[in-house]
Amino acid sequence: MAAILGLIVGIIAGVFLQPDIPVALQPYLPIMVVAALDALLGAARSYFERSFSDRVFVVSFFSNVVTATLLVFLGNQLGVGSQLSTAVIVVLGIRIFSNVSALRRFIFKG
Amino acid sequence: MIKRLWPRSNGQVNPPSIQPRGGRVRGGGDDTRTGSFPIVRRKPPRTFGSRASRIKALTSLLVAFLCALLGFGYVIQVHNTKSSYEGLSEEELVRLLDETSTQVDKLEERKSQLGEQLRSIQSSADKQQEAARIAKQNQVSSGILSGALPAQGKGVQITIVEGQDRVDAATMFTLLEELRNAGAEVIAINDTRVVTSTYLKDDNHGLVCDGRKLVSPYTIKAIGDPDALQNAVQIAGGVGSRIKVQFHAQVTVEQSNSVRIDEIRRPQRYQYAQTVE
Repeated sequence: MAAILGLIVGIIAGVFLQPDIPVALQPYLPIMVVAALDALLGAARSYFERSFSDRVFVVSFFSNVVTATLLVFLGNQLGVGSQLSTAVIVVLGIRIFSNVSALRRFIFKG
Repeated sequence: MIKRLWPRSNGQVNPPSIQPRGGRVRGGGDDTRTGSFPIVRRKPPRTFGSRASRIKALTSLLVAFLCALLGFGYVIQVHNTKSSYEGLSEEELVRLLDETSTQVDKLEERKSQLGEQLRSIQSSADKQQEAARIAKQNQVSSGILSGALPAQGKGVQITIVEGQDRVDAATMFTLLEELRNAGAEVIAINDTRVVTSTYLKDDNHGLVCDGRKLVSPYTIKAIGDPDALQNAVQIAGGVGSRIKVQFHAQVTVEQSNSVRIDEIRRPQRYQYAQTVE
């Protein structure tokens, strides 16, 4: 409940505030969003598995975001930023897909 | 022989390991093979202590905050990508560049076309202006020439007072011709503007000019070089002395810096003649 409420509040805030994100953060924001999405879907899955834990969600959220950002940052430092961000996106995408399929199994029982 | 990056085991690709959230699932959290999911156990009965509920409220608040952060970032990023080329691939960027340069070329072409049009319009406008200017000039000069406009300028005023003899038309005509030869541009006798069609004739009662009777004293105004005009009249043995000697008339020539000829002649209507285009 709190998660959905927070999501709605955040979207509304983003729509109405429309802040300018700093240039330094621009390449990392999409990766951060995808990582956070992955964390959220993982949390949803564990919720359906009845093994949801706030603490784990918070930690995984931050670790996901920080790891993804650090990877892209590292890639930028090494000159392979775009490739590495693609790799991160692919991995996170696979995770999101498997999470979604797990959710589907829980919801539709099959 | 196809070389595989990930060697297959029992015919299934091992997806990257996915840890179920919570970490309290029994029996191998890494096991995410499709079709095999951990056993969902019943929720343990919860104890509602004041401390526990406070922590729970705090953590749910934190969860809400994180979700808000996610939504916020998502919306910002969605808004941001609309106006940025950051996420485009190299080919897309090249295509965009090509399109833009093609558009630039087209616009340049259009610009040069429009510039050409502008130039031609301007030149035609200039031509029109020039034509208007020449027409105005022509109007002025032909107006003066045909007697349609009043004129003024340097010139002479000749006064002839008759004695007992009348000055005849031929002599007066000679006087006018002399003035013309001396470069008189505009001439008027008494109230009559002298133009190309002006005639002089002898009548029983005196001179007639363009159908008007001329009576002594005759006042002839001529615009031109005053010295030349004066000389033309007063030259020894010229028309001036002939009038004096032959007709016993008084002839005076006055030079003036401003001879004003207000007499005008209505331009005649041409019934048959038409201009050639």
